[in-house]
Amino acid sequence: MTLLDISDYTLDLPDGTRLLDGVSLTVAVGETVGLVGESGSGKSLTARSVLGMQPRGATTGGSVRLDGREVLGAPAGDLLAVRRSSAGMVFQDPRAGINPMRTIGDHLTETLRLVDGRSKSDAEARAVELLRAVRLPRPEDHLRQYPHELSGGMLQRVMIAGALTSSPRLLICDEPTTALDVTTQAEIISVLGEQRATRGMGMLFITHDLNLAASICDRVYVMNAGRVEEEGDARRVFRNPQAAYTRRLVAATPTIASIGPLGPVVIGEATDAASAPRSVVELPRAVDAEAPMLDVRSIAKTYHLHGKPPVRAVVDASIEIPLGSALAVVGESGSGKSTLARMIVGLESADTGEILVDGVVRTAMPRRRAERLAHSRSVQMVFQDPYLSLDPRISAGRAIEDTLRLHSTLTSRDARTRVLDLLEQVGLGERHATAVPRTLSGGQRQRVAIARALAVEPDVLVMDEATSALDVSVQAQVLDLVAGIRRERGLTVLFISHDLAVVRRVCEQTVVMRSGEIVERGATATLLERPRHPYTRLLLDSVPRPDWDLDALAAIDRTEGVPA
Amino acid sequence: MTATPTLALEVLRAPRVHRADAAFVVSLGVVALMTLAAVFAPWIAPYDPDQVDLSAVYSGPTAAHWLGTDALGRDLLSRMIFGARTALLGPLIVVVSSTILGILLGLLAGWRGGWIDAVLGRVFDVVFAFPALLIAIMAVALFGKGLVAPVIAMSIAYAPFVARLTRSLVTSERSRPYVSAYRVQGFSGGWIATRRVLPNVTPIVGAQSTLNFGYVLAELAALSFLGLGVQAPTADWGAMINEAQAGLLGGHFLPAIVPAVAVVIVVVAVNVIGEEVSDRIGGGIPA
Repeated sequence: MTLLDISDYTLDLPDGTRLLDGVSLTVAVGETVGLVGESGSGKSLTARSVLGMQPRGATTGGSVRLDGREVLGAPAGDLLAVRRSSAGMVFQDPRAGINPMRTIGDHLTETLRLVDGRSKSDAEARAVELLRAVRLPRPEDHLRQYPHELSGGMLQRVMIAGALTSSPRLLICDEPTTALDVTTQAEIISVLGEQRATRGMGMLFITHDLNLAASICDRVYVMNAGRVEEEGDARRVFRNPQAAYTRRLVAATPTIASIGPLGPVVIGEATDAASAPRSVVELPRAVDAEAPMLDVRSIAKTYHLHGKPPVRAVVDASIEIPLGSALAVVGESGSGKSTLARMIVGLESADTGEILVDGVVRTAMPRRRAERLAHSRSVQMVFQDPYLSLDPRISAGRAIEDTLRLHSTLTSRDARTRVLDLLEQVGLGERHATAVPRTLSGGQRQRVAIARALAVEPDVLVMDEATSALDVSVQAQVLDLVAGIRRERGLTVLFISHDLAVVRRVCEQTVVMRSGEIVERGATATLLERPRHPYTRLLLDSVPRPDWDLDALAAIDRTEGVPA
Repeated sequence: MTATPTLALEVLRAPRVHRADAAFVVSLGVVALMTLAAVFAPWIAPYDPDQVDLSAVYSGPTAAHWLGTDALGRDLLSRMIFGARTALLGPLIVVVSSTILGILLGLLAGWRGGWIDAVLGRVFDVVFAFPALLIAIMAVALFGKGLVAPVIAMSIAYAPFVARLTRSLVTSERSRPYVSAYRVQGFSGGWIATRRVLPNVTPIVGAQSTLNFGYVLAELAALSFLGLGVQAPTADWGAMINEAQAGLLGGHFLPAIVPAVAVVIVVVAVNVIGEEVSDRIGGGIPA
């Protein structure tokens, strides 16, 4: 039986921009349907339309029928009824969707009391039931807690419980796990799957992550630029994409290729050579195995906050990267991987330990001019969010030129030639030199950031989650760019990431961090195929893949006691 | 095909936008007119503002004197036009100098943080505790009557408003990744603060400062009204209201009302412009 039926749905803005162009999709009762696409593809817009949340002033066409009732153009009262009883929604950022001044109990019982007219005690009993259903450990206590007392993953469960209060027939999930760590994602997904099965709901699952969609969905729709490019059985689309766009998307999506006893899952590598893991980087120079380019010797950092127990961000961490090699530091949020990076580039000081770059001690935060310049010539960094790491007022060319002229005595003409040279190396042109960040795309901005980091010709390049804010196709381009630069210059790279699949594509060596400690290290391929530490194994098992066993994973969760 | 009822919303929304724009345009006109009057006063004014004509005392509006004359037979319109000069110049100097002073102090407090921030914060609190007018009166008491001492005093009195805003903007700016990126490239803290962070916060702070113009104008007029600011016989709106008080009892309203209304109109106009400008530039940070 069809629960949601969107047919030939179009949406135009008042200025004539067509955002959705003839979208058709269906969700049956009890079915999980994935809506996959990159940013700006219209996937969220489509899903929100089901609840009547179109942008102001938009003109719509076609039809969106939920449970047999037309939603488009429905009066406000009917839309409220749809939101009350037919469909619920879970959003990406749980913290943005909850009032920070009110308790979890207030949040959950409000609808029950006001809409269903239940008494306070009755509503609380029901809320406890719902919190137990989403597997929160202490439902009664959570009712009296405030949102800031819960972690992101716990809060997302509260939001799911909130969406379930009205016992909806359709649950719309808009990137519900994108902001969460991979182990937390696995828990949330398993809760969602369990609720869908026991309640017989239909689920519309929006994600940019093809691996995730293939793991949990029955069918997927792939969207691009407001159109549905391809639809079909989730695994079929993933393994054997038909549309050109889907093929590109699958090729650009990094995978862990082969994991444990499940055997290799080779995906899309034949279609695009660029997607093959670049585990071997040919170096122009011979690697000097004796003296590592970056040598971090048991550094530690503890933060002392007022009125709170000290936070041990990094505990006795040691890493070595040979010249021209790439090392990945993998870990979840709060594992201390970013603190490690910030200490290496001199943004934070280490409490104990030593950092050597090319044999020179670079432990202290640089103070005097000569120290600053020397430190920055030895280590450069590319930051996570290219939207924030470029000065909004300064053009791309100017940003690079400023750095060049700080470090050399180039005339302005020579500097400009060098700027164009650098922009060309990262695949940008002369017209990008005068562009301010606002007018550049995310990928272009990250290229500018890379060019700026390369301007001083550093010994070591630190990339802190440098591709995690980018769409997969853009991420693939940036990763290829970095691989190319490494081949040409023999650059030494420290690659910080939460994404094991990306790491596999970039780095020869990997260390795994957890709560400030390095728990496992080794060659990337070996580590991914034969993890020794249970935490590494948990991380790997949490990565979505088509034959994902969520029940087994849930069992691991409880036995290993993953930190919240 | 389903058309959503959004056209009606568009129509409802449209007039509001136009009203805001109309108020803004009218206000710009008022301030432009006043500025022209101030700059070209000697050429526009029909009479010498200080020319006494005892044969035409309290003439009321006539063909020769459009707004009438005051107790000494001086042409009211000419005095209004010349009065625009002090009315604009005083606030202009106060706003510019308090903005410069406030931005520098705010940048210092926000960028350096620590004890500098704490000390400056307490100093701002102390200055906030005294009304600007009171500080100006104290300055007059110390340094004598006239425009110079109150203008300097009010520049200091208004600086903390600017400094607080600057400080909060700089503090949030300092924690942004682009500042870390500059540090990693080897730029000094001083360079980043003055050459990169300062230009990024200045438009917002500057737009907010324009809102002070109206308050300063009213307060300086009040000072002149109290006889502590601009001194007779110089034409000044506040002083004119003061001088015209005696005439009110005799039924001669115009010499007092005209400058009073002018002050109100200009203050409102300046505030409308200031709010619109800070909305457009500052993204609606409340004053």
